[in-house]
Amino acid sequence: MRHLSRALFALGLALGFAPLAPLALAAQDARLDSRLDAHTRGAVVALIDSARADGIPSEPLVQKALEGASKRADGARILIAVRMLDRELGDARAALGAASSDAEIIAGASALHAGIAPAALVRMRASRAHGSLTVALAVLSDLIARGVPGDTATTVISALTVAGAQDAELVKFQQGVERDIAQGATPSAALGVRAQGAFPAAAPRRTP
Amino acid sequence: MRQHDESDAAAEVDDVLKSAAEELRRPLRIDAALFDARVMDEVHRGAGGFRERMARLTRPRTFRVSPLTALAATLVFAVAIGAGVLALRPSRARVPLSDVARAGAGSPLVQFGFVAPNASSVALVGDFNDWDPKATPLRAASTGGVWSVEVPIQPGRHLYAFVVDGTVWRPDPAAPQATGEDYGEPNSALTVVAEQGSR
Repeated sequence: MRHLSRALFALGLALGFAPLAPLALAAQDARLDSRLDAHTRGAVVALIDSARADGIPSEPLVQKALEGASKRADGARILIAVRMLDRELGDARAALGAASSDAEIIAGASALHAGIAPAALVRMRASRAHGSLTVALAVLSDLIARGVPGDTATTVISALTVAGAQDAELVKFQQGVERDIAQGATPSAALGVRAQGAFPAAAPRRTP
Repeated sequence: MRQHDESDAAAEVDDVLKSAAEELRRPLRIDAALFDARVMDEVHRGAGGFRERMARLTRPRTFRVSPLTALAATLVFAVAIGAGVLALRPSRARVPLSDVARAGAGSPLVQFGFVAPNASSVALVGDFNDWDPKATPLRAASTGGVWSVEVPIQPGRHLYAFVVDGTVWRPDPAAPQATGEDYGEPNSALTVVAEQGSR
């Protein structure tokens, strides 16, 4: 009897929210309708549907298409960019695990886009199985964008993550490295010095 | 004799009519002080009525209300107060939410700034407002050519840029530049940190 009640409750809930699903899809499609030509829109919508079926966050794909439209890129270029992001999101989800949040997968895709190997994401996930990796992965991507070598950045950020560095501490660490680079330090040296200051064990070893 | 009586009666009527006419022709004397006193007396009498009505309204009385009616009245009162509080509650975002797509209610406010002394307009575009140059215009300070806006943004990593004068795309010089330029125009990267424990 209790199971029946729960089933009826779940059914009622599903029926209650069911009308909202087409509204969300319609809203998403409407954004693309007004900004993309019919051919590009059809291909992008097919990619989005496929991503959604695979459990991949679809909003970044919509945004990538809209970014291209705003920058007046042609349809072919938009499709290339959306396909590449779709692949990176899929790889990030595979590396970080299906239980990862959308924000983690998006940050993981950014790291892959920056040149980090999927195996590095797997190691970072293993180092923090239960906490969020979103900020750690974002910091990693931004450090690489500043010129820090990918493997060095991965080593340091992974070590800080294993050591239990909080998100705010990681952001502060990144800001310190950026400040040093802006003042003339090489990216590698800035990372090494800041890592030694923040957490000596995380500093990369110096080769004699 | 009879004729004499009739003429006497007619003369009496004439006298009465004459005296009545004189009385009516006499100008009416109005005593100003007396008139004012009478008017004020009427005013006070009216005011006294108002006071009496007020006293009737404020006089303590005993009402009998059933528990159900009291509960219903309490609920109506609570709903009315709640609706009033919600209606008067100040918005936490300084930028209209309509300007920013899908910004959550608990999203941190992020301030964006850009220096463009000769620009006539600067807009913020990013993956938080559908890259729409019309969605989030920056406001110019009165001097110095500094443009700024505060926007609620969901935690996570975001890409953004500025559009100057509606056509020129510029990254944020104060932020890390995102790797890769899918469309030839560089973006800036922004990491918004969520409260600890969220994922």
